[in-house]
Amino acid sequence: MSDIPFKNPGWAGNTGEFDLTEEQVRGDDFVGDRPKHGGHASGAGTLPYMLADKHPEAALFEGEYQERFEKILTRYPTKQAALLPALGLAQEIRGHVSPESMDRVAELLDLSPAYVRGVTTFYTMYNKRPVGDHLVQVCTNISCNLAGADEVVDAFLRYTDTELGETSEDGKFTVIEAECLAACGFPTCVQINSRYFENVTPDQVPQICEHLKSQGGE
Amino acid sequence: MAYPYVSDHEVQIVSKHFGDPKQRRVDTYVERGGYQALKKAFDMGPEQVIDVVKSSGLRGRGGAGFPTGVKWSFMPKESGKPHYLLCNADESEPGTFKDRELIRWDPHQLIEGCLIGAYAIGAQHVYIYCRGEFFEVNQILARAVEDAYAKGYIGKDIMGSGNDLELTVHQGAGAYICGEETGLMNSLEGRRGQPRVKPPFPAAVGAFGMPSTINNVETLCAVTHIVDNGGEWYRQYGTEKSPGTKLFCVSGHVNKPGNYELPLGFPLTQLIEEVCGGMRDGNALKAVIPGGSSVPIINAEEVSRCNLDYEGCVEVGTMLGCASVIVMDETTDVVKAVRRMVDFYAHESCGQCTPCREGSAWTAKILRRIEDGRGTEEDLDTLMQMTQQMVGTTICVLSDSVAAPVQSSIEKFRDEYLALSRRGERVGAA
Repeated sequence: MSDIPFKNPGWAGNTGEFDLTEEQVRGDDFVGDRPKHGGHASGAGTLPYMLADKHPEAALFEGEYQERFEKILTRYPTKQAALLPALGLAQEIRGHVSPESMDRVAELLDLSPAYVRGVTTFYTMYNKRPVGDHLVQVCTNISCNLAGADEVVDAFLRYTDTELGETSEDGKFTVIEAECLAACGFPTCVQINSRYFENVTPDQVPQICEHLKSQGGE
Repeated sequence: MAYPYVSDHEVQIVSKHFGDPKQRRVDTYVERGGYQALKKAFDMGPEQVIDVVKSSGLRGRGGAGFPTGVKWSFMPKESGKPHYLLCNADESEPGTFKDRELIRWDPHQLIEGCLIGAYAIGAQHVYIYCRGEFFEVNQILARAVEDAYAKGYIGKDIMGSGNDLELTVHQGAGAYICGEETGLMNSLEGRRGQPRVKPPFPAAVGAFGMPSTINNVETLCAVTHIVDNGGEWYRQYGTEKSPGTKLFCVSGHVNKPGNYELPLGFPLTQLIEEVCGGMRDGNALKAVIPGGSSVPIINAEEVSRCNLDYEGCVEVGTMLGCASVIVMDETTDVVKAVRRMVDFYAHESCGQCTPCREGSAWTAKILRRIEDGRGTEEDLDTLMQMTQQMVGTTICVLSDSVAAPVQSSIEKFRDEYLALSRRGERVGAA
């Protein structure tokens, strides 16, 4: 790819023929930190998928989180429709969706605990068990695979000294394979917590991991 | 400008502002003529909006290619029930990455299209079902929706027209099958995202049991421009049966992968050679999947004859799907590529229908065996027979999507399968 311009600001995709910063590609002035109460009700159900800062014992749906939960309820004609956003909220607070969280959600939405478990386990984004501070999901589907995604997975496993799905000893990382993340033009795509890292090559993996560690993950 | 590379062959309609961070702001969008199409739609009335979209010949961009205007006209006129417009932003077909770009670069274009669509079908509420993994994209969209509410483009009495429309961004939770329209509806309602038996069709009994229409992100983005400029204007691009432009998501072994907006009917060879800067390292082309992982794979000879529109792809035995062109060069291990796609379907099968649940898992196992050099020629017959039983026997077409790459690759690359199997025999004999 010698004569082809290739720019990769902060793993925010290949800016190609555009002169953009990482912030501009990611839309940082739009993404930022959302208020815990969720802002306008229309978007209150869009949650940070995973935060490095998690508290497995934290209270669910209290204070500002309760406010957000109530906003979500106003957007649907049925109470049950708030189930997915509510589970997401539980995961945002605690880092995973425990059976206890599921029961609490069931109670709030007048559903049976068994039903809520059936729904929760259907979806891959709900962590049924605790994971590391940084959940590393490497896309190994067709387009990323053609670009060498398997080696990227290996590089993460080597760096973290883990096997797939296992959490590293220091509790920092859990590495799993993911299905297509819809960034096929920017292979290999890796989702780490809420963020996409694009055009990742195996040699960049230690650098990415160091970068994540330096951010804390407290 | 399509992102991250630009080509002279492009006709930029929905991708015009890709790569321009200012476009996300509501003020910039309005300065550039935004929300004027919505105003026009309100002046036209719902019937005429549907007529304009019908006259444009716009076909659904999510994969099936069903005419959008016709779909809208299925909605009951005076049902007395709430109607819903659902926007399918659960983009997860392997090879597809256009909706993410459309939303993150130009969120208001989609919002405007959603509002026009909702008005046309008499819906009071729009749900944008956005893929859960798209956290950053979701934030951009949620913020844009909030801005549009603040400026009075969504909500009560929009622009003094007396029309009320609500819009909610709903986040998925990681399931490919929720991109299937009835699966999406179940998921929106807080259920497992398992597809429903049709009929009843969504226009009669859809989300929350009410009349609903579901459109892809790219379709609704195109609607904004069609209502603004007219159906005839849109028809100047593309072919008679496949009018307009389409975003082509090119990935794999090309020099410049990315999204390119081209008129439908564009030759595939020209896309690879001229638009995408040719094959990586000057390698020879081996195969292409032109419409995402669910469509049959085509070989180099078929690529040379393929024009990228709905009919042109059928002529060479494949489908346009959502125009996700996955390009593979001579170094590609076709068996591995197919096995990886089938692994995906086995993982994503919702488990309702036996042919899909069992078939996809067993297909993946057999392919893995062949890939590991432990296969036999007989395995190929088993695969063909088994996948034939997976076509047309299930509630949705996920099962058919397993059959497409398996059958087409065995037909076209049988030698590669056999070479792997023979290697196994030698190893076994030693």
